[in-house]
Amino acid sequence: MPGSTYDVVIVGGGHNGLVCAAYLARAGRKVLVLERRHVLGGAAVTEEVFPGFRFSVCSYVVSLLRPEIIRELDLPRHGLEILPLDGTFTPMPGGDYLWRMDDHARTRREIYRHSPVDAEAYDEYARAMADMARFVKPVLNMVPPDPLSVTGVARLLPMVQRFRALPRSQQHNLIQLMTMSAVDLLDQWFETDVLKATMSASGIIGTFLGVRSPGTAYVLLHHYMGEIDGAFRAWGIPKGGTGAISESIAAAAREAGVDIRTEAPVEQFMVREGRAVGVALSGGEEVKARTVVSCLDPHRTFLRMVEKGVLDDGFLGEVRRYKLRGSSGKVNLALDALPDFKSLPGAGPHLRGAISISPSVEYMERAYDDAKYGSFSRRPYVDIVIPSLSDPSLAPPGKHVLSCFVQYAPYHLREGTWDEKREAFGDTVVSTLCEHAPNLKDIILHRQVLTPLDLEREWGLTEGNIFQGELSLEQLFFLRPVPGWARYRTPVRGLWMCGSATHPGGGIMGAPGRLAALEMLKDGRW
Amino acid sequence: MVSDGRVVVVGGGHNGLVAAALLAKAGLRPLVLERRETLGGAAVTEEFHPGYRCSTVAHTAGPFRASLVQELGLGGDGLAFISPEPRVFAPLPDGRSVRLWGNAERSAGDIHRLSPRDAERYPAMARALAAVARVLAKALAATPPDVDHPRPRDLWPFLDVGLGLRRLDKGDALALMRWAPMAVADFAAEWFEAEPLRALVCGRGVFGCFAGPWSAGTTANLLLQAAAGGGDLVPTVLVRGGLGALTRALGDSAQRHGAEVRTGTEVERFLAENGTVTGVVLAGGEEIRARAVVSGLDPHRTFLRLLDPALLDPDELRRIRNYRIQGACAKVNLALSALPAFAAVKDEDPRALLGGRIHVGPDVDSIERAFDEAKYGGIARQPFLEATLPSLTDPSLVPPGAHAMSVHVQYTPYRLAQGDWPSRRAELLGIVLDRLEEYAPGLRGLVVGSQVLTPHDLEATYGLTGGHPYHGEHALDQLFFTRPLLGWGRYRGPLPGLYLCGAGTHPGGGVTGAPGANAAREVLRDLR
Repeated sequence: MPGSTYDVVIVGGGHNGLVCAAYLARAGRKVLVLERRHVLGGAAVTEEVFPGFRFSVCSYVVSLLRPEIIRELDLPRHGLEILPLDGTFTPMPGGDYLWRMDDHARTRREIYRHSPVDAEAYDEYARAMADMARFVKPVLNMVPPDPLSVTGVARLLPMVQRFRALPRSQQHNLIQLMTMSAVDLLDQWFETDVLKATMSASGIIGTFLGVRSPGTAYVLLHHYMGEIDGAFRAWGIPKGGTGAISESIAAAAREAGVDIRTEAPVEQFMVREGRAVGVALSGGEEVKARTVVSCLDPHRTFLRMVEKGVLDDGFLGEVRRYKLRGSSGKVNLALDALPDFKSLPGAGPHLRGAISISPSVEYMERAYDDAKYGSFSRRPYVDIVIPSLSDPSLAPPGKHVLSCFVQYAPYHLREGTWDEKREAFGDTVVSTLCEHAPNLKDIILHRQVLTPLDLEREWGLTEGNIFQGELSLEQLFFLRPVPGWARYRTPVRGLWMCGSATHPGGGIMGAPGRLAALEMLKDGRW
Repeated sequence: MVSDGRVVVVGGGHNGLVAAALLAKAGLRPLVLERRETLGGAAVTEEFHPGYRCSTVAHTAGPFRASLVQELGLGGDGLAFISPEPRVFAPLPDGRSVRLWGNAERSAGDIHRLSPRDAERYPAMARALAAVARVLAKALAATPPDVDHPRPRDLWPFLDVGLGLRRLDKGDALALMRWAPMAVADFAAEWFEAEPLRALVCGRGVFGCFAGPWSAGTTANLLLQAAAGGGDLVPTVLVRGGLGALTRALGDSAQRHGAEVRTGTEVERFLAENGTVTGVVLAGGEEIRARAVVSGLDPHRTFLRLLDPALLDPDELRRIRNYRIQGACAKVNLALSALPAFAAVKDEDPRALLGGRIHVGPDVDSIERAFDEAKYGGIARQPFLEATLPSLTDPSLVPPGAHAMSVHVQYTPYRLAQGDWPSRRAELLGIVLDRLEEYAPGLRGLVVGSQVLTPHDLEATYGLTGGHPYHGEHALDQLFFTRPLLGWGRYRGPLPGLYLCGAGTHPGGGVTGAPGANAAREVLRDLR
């Protein structure tokens, strides 16, 4: 292993790096994956944070994992099992709630309770979104063309044709979806405030935008495209936590002959005469390879790992312009019992799905306002799951693990540092939850608070951005990560990118890793 | 020459008049119907206080498309455009100021006092923006292509745009695609470090829109203005005699070319027979038949008020109802006994500094916070203001020694969470005077008269639905071939015989005359 040379060395054992490795190895390449941490998976990782309590520490649900990857890498055989996450429960301050379930009829009745009109619109909306998702999905499996080249334009034409083939109403929806704010879009369909609030939430996850910011409607779709066994909008939690996904991909990769080393931090990419020739590890060890693939975000890849003088200032300028700007944190709680919600008491099935603290559109927007001016939300949007309900193996008998995705928590604080504010942030989240489930404060055994700074330090997510860069229009498709370099290549010959910072972006999707591998295999030059 | 038969232009705003003049020049004898007694729509010069006149609504020309001045022989009417220096003057609370001039190097020289680094970058920004704007300008002058059946004739101009893009430095070309959807605050931060300069740039991005500096897509609004303005970051063009002089010249030109203009004539509804618009019905009940009706009114007025909604299919009706047309701007016009003394004007001659736009919005956050209040239906306590002192460049507007100050106010949402606009007019005046007083102490004492145009007034008096100065939000989903709606983006509505020529069509708001000119071209294509 050490000393020997490889066709490809992949830096970063996140899910995309592992997917990329598996595909390259299956094509006969000799591949090595180097992971800085002791555990594989990057942000898709399960860790025993407290004795007996195992958490999907960062990324906590799966919905976007590409079906062709599950199929082609035969992940179920390698241990992937996805348990359903049934519905979304949104408690409201007034003692009421909105509970959308995967059971269509019951969801309809529930929405009818709030507004008969919306119950009607809900079906239409679901159909419209499914149509949009069906149109956009092929783009997820497409290497972005260069819009300024004749061939690139030619490759875009089929999309134009498909667009023109759509009925006018769908064309209209699609254009709005790509440009509008989540709330502006939902306003056109629904009147129930809490329904709009909780639906718009999926439009802002991981972005530094508010539910009223143009461009968030697209992210709404990005999350709508989730699919398990082909069923749209089905979210799930992997048995054994999100780390189990990474483990299953790693198993597939190993089976294909990939060497994987953990606790192997890379210091620098070695470049000779403008060509990548390998990597240098912190220990001083050097690994030679004809191709180096970076699973890290562009800031790490180009501003840290490539030595000065190799890249021209124009390109570096574009890289510095690339917006990461994390906006979310994570609070993981080890619980002695289940939370009891005022609006719907008892340990009912409503706890088995996602629990969304998004009571009103104004609540969501004000949470964003705080972040705009450099402080974490006084009353944040929180997305809660209790995976131990469907997967008891995660916690000791009778006990539970509860994970809170919290927005907004801006990486750049105007006052103080995250090290000073960490516990205050944790307290804010807990008190926010206690307003809806007062018993929570008495049942917390342990609490892990992850600020954007922690996500950066421990998991290498620069500025704590969970998508390795904002999913805003100017950073998507042929503009991701930077204009002119959206095809997984970099200005350094033999150095490639395969992380969430490349098309089609973040989420436990695997698409960037797969597309990068396929593009490399197509590329004759190596 | 075309055969006989009337073309009726509804609305004598600048776009309606441009369309009418061009149609008349082509030999049609269009009839322009204007509800108000004065022509010009939102581009008018009015006496807002005895002896004091100014451009009461829009106070700068878009800039107006230069080619139209020749084509319609406007220069002959003594029409004079003024490009004041500096283009914009931005006083700061600490007594400093930012000035931008027609010449980038000169601007850089001033910026140097704020930040040497920004001074270095400014010419580069000006160059990149100008390069991109030149390409974009071609798109502004063209009719958006038909999505369903693109004809080579329509696509040709855009091939030209595409080639223009490819001729650009690759960085600039991709910059255009990257910039358009960006928040203008990000655009500003990419170039500059000095907060006041960033805020000035943001002002161009949010001007007239119900959006804040951090709203995605506001850079598109900045690009639109730059493209219309020959590539300047802050194009500033005033008209001697106020914008009314421009629309008067347009009206004269239209009539000279054979158009008939009737003011004080309100159109109550459109006439339609088996799915075709065949004329208009006036408030008095008089019917005027026409082979084509060209509406300079905003899309909501055109399709939801003057047209019988039953003529639209439910889906079209839903889509046009969802067209976003809530404004967040107001206008305050002040009659001043003397020139206000800005603290930021030190020992210089104020006349040499205050002739252009006066930008009051010292930092990005202050503009964003003002937007935040409007977002929740409140009037911004610390509004973003853009004032002009037209009397500096044209003393004939006011009594000797006096001055008129025209103040564009953001953010003041059309839909208020509390109270209504008629009852809060005085409050708005107070807010604006307080804000100005911060920068020009003693200004209150100079006020001899004032006019407050709330969003409600802009709608009631000037027919701007929702009080929106652009006939609808400049947002990515409401621009180009989707302005006002996908399928209606070629100056034709869903019914034969009905055309659009207002700011609710490509390329949107601002006193540019571009929508009117593009619309006239399409009408002629159909009627010839």
